[in-house]
Amino acid sequence: MEQALIVENLKKSYGRFEALHGISFEVAPGEIFALIGPNGAGKTTALRIVATILQPTSGTVHVYGMDVQKDAARIREIISYLPEEAGAYKNLTGFGYLSFMAELFASDAAIQREYIQRASDITGLGERLRDKIGTYSKGMTRKLLLSRAVMTHPKLAVIDEPTSGLDVVAAIDIRESIRRTATEGMAVLLSSHNMLEIEYLSDRVAIIDKGTIHDVGTPQGLKDKYGKANLEEVFVQVVKQ
Amino acid sequence: MRRFFVVLRKELKEMLTWHTLVPILLIMVIYSFLGRTINQEQKKQAAPQPITVVDLDCSQTSEMLAGILTKANFKVTTVTEGVEGDIVRKVVSEKGSAVLVIPQGFETGIQAQHPQKVETYTIMRNFSMMGIQGTFRMEAALSAMNEYIGDMYIRSGAPGLDPAIVKHAISAQSFVTVGMTSAEGDPQEIVSLVMQQTMIIPIVLFLVIIMAAQMIAASIASEKENKTLETLLSTPVARGALVTAKMMASGIVALVSAAAYMVGMKSYMGSLIGSSAGTSGTAIQAIEKLGLVLDLRGYILLGLSVFAGIMVALSIAVILGAFAEDLKSVQILIMPLMMVVLLPYLITMFIDINTASPVLKWVIYAIPFSHPFLAAQFIFAHNFTMVVAGIIYQFALFFVLAAVAARIFSTDRILTMKLNTARRGSGLGGWTLQREGISLRIRRK
Repeated sequence: MEQALIVENLKKSYGRFEALHGISFEVAPGEIFALIGPNGAGKTTALRIVATILQPTSGTVHVYGMDVQKDAARIREIISYLPEEAGAYKNLTGFGYLSFMAELFASDAAIQREYIQRASDITGLGERLRDKIGTYSKGMTRKLLLSRAVMTHPKLAVIDEPTSGLDVVAAIDIRESIRRTATEGMAVLLSSHNMLEIEYLSDRVAIIDKGTIHDVGTPQGLKDKYGKANLEEVFVQVVKQ
Repeated sequence: MRRFFVVLRKELKEMLTWHTLVPILLIMVIYSFLGRTINQEQKKQAAPQPITVVDLDCSQTSEMLAGILTKANFKVTTVTEGVEGDIVRKVVSEKGSAVLVIPQGFETGIQAQHPQKVETYTIMRNFSMMGIQGTFRMEAALSAMNEYIGDMYIRSGAPGLDPAIVKHAISAQSFVTVGMTSAEGDPQEIVSLVMQQTMIIPIVLFLVIIMAAQMIAASIASEKENKTLETLLSTPVARGALVTAKMMASGIVALVSAAAYMVGMKSYMGSLIGSSAGTSGTAIQAIEKLGLVLDLRGYILLGLSVFAGIMVALSIAVILGAFAEDLKSVQILIMPLMMVVLLPYLITMFIDINTASPVLKWVIYAIPFSHPFLAAQFIFAHNFTMVVAGIIYQFALFFVLAAVAARIFSTDRILTMKLNTARRGSGLGGWTLQREGISLRIRRK
């Protein structure tokens, strides 16, 4: 089966500073794959390149066989990207925002309506969708944005720090939404420095630090391999090595 | 007391940032430049002013008057024959600025103690505050002549001398010439009427340009700050379409502002022409005859020039906005643009572009925002070539800048370029335009 995402020897430099030193990994359709590492490890840079908003310095990235540099426009049709702590247009209502974003992806009005309906169901915000986004809490905004990210049935969702800054209840809601939509066949590439969250959410993880991937495996496989009780301890062990 | 100084030091450190210092320094530089330039212009005004005396009387008195004018700091050229209209046209074509016609029988009239009338032609090419100074020349010339004739009467000590004739032996029938057309009217009244029509233009234009530029730069900065830009860039919308839509939206708002301003101007001018209290009918007839009232062509040209200026400001603002990380940094990024708009606004208000030095003239022409400020003056002076050339230059510059803006949006520069005013650990202050890692640092010396 064709892989959802293949990243090979990906490097990214900002001037003389190399943020990624040649990372490689693959994500299968329907799989939740996580990049875990501390702040500044290069997770966001990798996600932005997959989302076609940054260009790689060298190496290749293929999304369902399409190259991020040559086929960026076609890739944008089948992916969705949710940046870390992203906001929405505060003067729009929740519905207004979903409608605006759905129109950018939908080919006709019927599909646009379907996208909006799906997003409304996922958010669970009900009547609050008629209120301006400026009145939403951080958790509500994140739910709105996540539902926006998955409403178009993307084949690959790229989600940066899905629950960063959210309280426990909102974080659990978000995690469950991601899990639920992934079961429909959507591949998910996400990043987090919250390793316990990743342990619960991901099928496989890649441990990244200072622009280098140190190990890749299932959370259980990595814990067994390093004889540790959780991913945090695995991470410390891997980075020390 | 020590604690007071600790707090004071902290407050000063917070207040004296580049955000506050740069505008102060820039204003200081601009005003010093402006002061020097205006000073030079005033020196030019102090030099002997050229005047052509058409002496149709060819008498001893009329010759003496020419001499008096030379003493009163005029550079006199005397013409003794020819048709009045032809002479005025010749003076216009030779870039002269004033003509005084002394009629036949002038000396005889003066000797008979009859008030005499001379004709004066003020040739107008500039309608700025400096241009209005030219209208005082004729008054000075007339006053010098009256003083001479008055002295002559007093010295003659003729019995029964009328004090009125001693004070005002000579009066003037004033004409104003614009291009090749002359119309009777008081030059000062005409110039002030023209200035009333145009004085509002730079103020409104300055506000519209700054408003439009701030709108688009703030729009980009807020999209970056809220990370909605990242989301937009990952959608199937073409990058070119994104930047074009942003510019077009601001352009439309700016166009509406420009249109509103033009309509307001038209109504303002209508009321001015229709019910000008204290303005003589002769002056109103004169500005109409001289073409000093904006017609449809004038409005279209002025509107185009204003719109082109706004579009240039918008394209610069898009590029500047790409450097902004948040709304706060928009203010500091827009500041240089505000200064570039402010400079021609002040210069064109105080300086006669026609007599400015070639270097200053080209500096003014190179600033795209000078053209909308100058457009009205050029239209009134019937110099349409300069207006059209200015519009073409502005649109050409806009297309170049828009291409640069589109290029920034189509690469990852839109996310990685930023303005960093923070001090580095090495203690180097100054400005840093950087792309996460690539720093262009202008060191303070």
